[in-house]
Amino acid sequence: MRVFYFCFSMRGLIIILIAIAGCQVKNEEAYSSKSSLSYASTFELASDGPDTRLINTEPWPKATVTKEFTFSKPLKRVVCTSTSHLPYFEMLESEDVIVGFPNANFISSANFINRIENGSIKDLGNGQSLNMELLIGLKPDAVIGFDAGGESNSLDKIEKLGIPVIYNSDYLEQTPLGRAEYIKFFGALLGKEERADSIFRAIVSNYQELSKMTENLETKPTILSGTTYGDTWYLPGGQNWAAQFFNDAGGDYLWKDSAPSGSLELSFEAVYEKGVDADYWIGVGTYKTLEELKGQDDRYANFSPFKKQQVFSYNKKIGPNGGMDFFESAYSRPDIVLSDLIKVLHPSLLPNYETVYYQRLP
Amino acid sequence: MIEAQIESNPRKWRGIFVILLLILAFTFLLSLTLGSVKIPISEVFSSFWNNSKNEIWERIILDFRIPKAITAILAGSALAISGLQMQTLFRNPLAGPFILGISSGAGLGVAIVIFLGIWIGGFVGLSEIGRSWLLVSASAVGSFLVLGVVLSASFRVRSSVSLLIIGLMFGSAVSAIVSIMQYFSRAENIQAYVIWSFGSLGSLSWQELFIMIPILSVSLFGSFLLSKPLNLTLLGEDYAESSGLNLQRTRTLIIINTSLLAGTVTAFCGPIAFIGLAVPHIGRMLFNTSNHLLLTPIVILLGAILLLSFDIIAQLPGSDATLPINAITSLFGAPFVIWLILRRTNINYRF
Repeated sequence: MRVFYFCFSMRGLIIILIAIAGCQVKNEEAYSSKSSLSYASTFELASDGPDTRLINTEPWPKATVTKEFTFSKPLKRVVCTSTSHLPYFEMLESEDVIVGFPNANFISSANFINRIENGSIKDLGNGQSLNMELLIGLKPDAVIGFDAGGESNSLDKIEKLGIPVIYNSDYLEQTPLGRAEYIKFFGALLGKEERADSIFRAIVSNYQELSKMTENLETKPTILSGTTYGDTWYLPGGQNWAAQFFNDAGGDYLWKDSAPSGSLELSFEAVYEKGVDADYWIGVGTYKTLEELKGQDDRYANFSPFKKQQVFSYNKKIGPNGGMDFFESAYSRPDIVLSDLIKVLHPSLLPNYETVYYQRLP
Repeated sequence: MIEAQIESNPRKWRGIFVILLLILAFTFLLSLTLGSVKIPISEVFSSFWNNSKNEIWERIILDFRIPKAITAILAGSALAISGLQMQTLFRNPLAGPFILGISSGAGLGVAIVIFLGIWIGGFVGLSEIGRSWLLVSASAVGSFLVLGVVLSASFRVRSSVSLLIIGLMFGSAVSAIVSIMQYFSRAENIQAYVIWSFGSLGSLSWQELFIMIPILSVSLFGSFLLSKPLNLTLLGEDYAESSGLNLQRTRTLIIINTSLLAGTVTAFCGPIAFIGLAVPHIGRMLFNTSNHLLLTPIVILLGAILLLSFDIIAQLPGSDATLPINAITSLFGAPFVIWLILRRTNINYRF
């Protein structure tokens, strides 16, 4: 039983640590007349007279139902459940709308940590489920929840208490821009659609400009990613969010042709055979130094990027509680992530740029 | 005396051991040739003499497959023999490192070292050797403590079911402490522990093997020395004491030995299920003996063969993916234990 429990917590950890969201493809035509979304495929916005309808077309992986939330005026009191929701409130300058958050110790943003400390955001307790009594006491307009497994017991319970639940499945978006387009999701809820649109337009144009820089490069360095957990090496699948970044940054991700949009689970020797001569090794979980990496398994040191000190990770920006800010805010700013990766792979293209998330392992 | 069995038919037993050794050698070679990466057999052999044409294949054989095969052999035999000794010591066919909470105890030791170590600063920064020793001592102490407490409880409660329940209770209490520690740790600090708790044969490098090999060799050798006292305890405590056995000392030695075996393996490979419980029974049933002078080598060889074979299966030869070793041991172990319970009459041998 212990083993199963750990497998379970391991799953959560892997999702958090390697930033490989288990994305699934869903090629469904968007409501053409109602939607102004260009990249996101998991939600739609529609207006119905004075009402706005927020339709979540894939509330959990491979969902066969949709979830809908209809509202007529902007939300004033909201409970969020994932740290990836928070940056949007900051970008839309609506931090004060959030009144509660579970597992608040996972938050990396100093702004929100202050708000927890001075009591304007209530910590709704640790663990898998929200503290229901505290939640009722907060009287929120809605809870923005996510359901990674399709077994939303606690979300159902919240709905039964009469508190509306808005499903957010940003983690199912497969493309960097699709995920960032979730700013429109929050813009609609907060009544700040125009601001959200203009921020997103700026991100898109930044992103496209950056990826143009690498389009015609002749040499594309090869990239290895991930580390082992137990006997299995987890690395982003070829259709994954991370793989797309590697490609747009002018890199040649060694597993770019693999099918999964989630993560690949390979044996150490299979990764060794393919990746031993890679030029770069990007994304190594929580390891902070090459020494640490070698301490976990000294065979890591046989990889060519290790020998040439070309190992990079997303641990440059650390929140006051020690969490990696990458997993909180990177999703909302794909332009920054892409700039970072271009700086890593092709430093001459961005000579004066200073990376935000990525840094070389010392 | 039970030992008469050997004298009565030494030829047969010698044959059995030769066959088991041959099977072990065969599985060992098989596990070197099968894996995610397809390597021709000729290349596997030339890797041994460092003249393989393909340097990557050579490194895969020397740095991945050989250490993993050796780990599987050592872990399999150590867990199996510690299971055998526990079953005899507790006179309980369901005793084993997992059931009696020894693995949980080892896990607690590891968790304390990892979590406190990070808290004090620098567990992750420790060099590999220092870290290995720390892990081994912590998990051996952890398993020693749990086994000691369960054993002292066994003097009070005679019923095997009660004892089993006590062991299970210990296991869950200890797991609860670990969860509480996880709860108060930062997500990234939990990583080291969670990786460990996954169970793994393939993550040991030569440096770590050089620590594991001597410790386990001494304990395995010790197991041979303990075979005779174990035979005596089978005949009943009164009989054992009247034939000059210091029961208290024997018990202590067995506890130290089993916790070293199970603790060391658990420290390096994480909790590996079912081998400790199931292999002694397989040994008894296949060869129809409860003589520890015979069972000890049989169980050691069987444990090694089985864990090696499970590992081969877990590698899913020919595919890039691997399965967690615990999934395979449990998949094959669970039905076996169920079958064991359904045929209970067969496992009361002589406890």
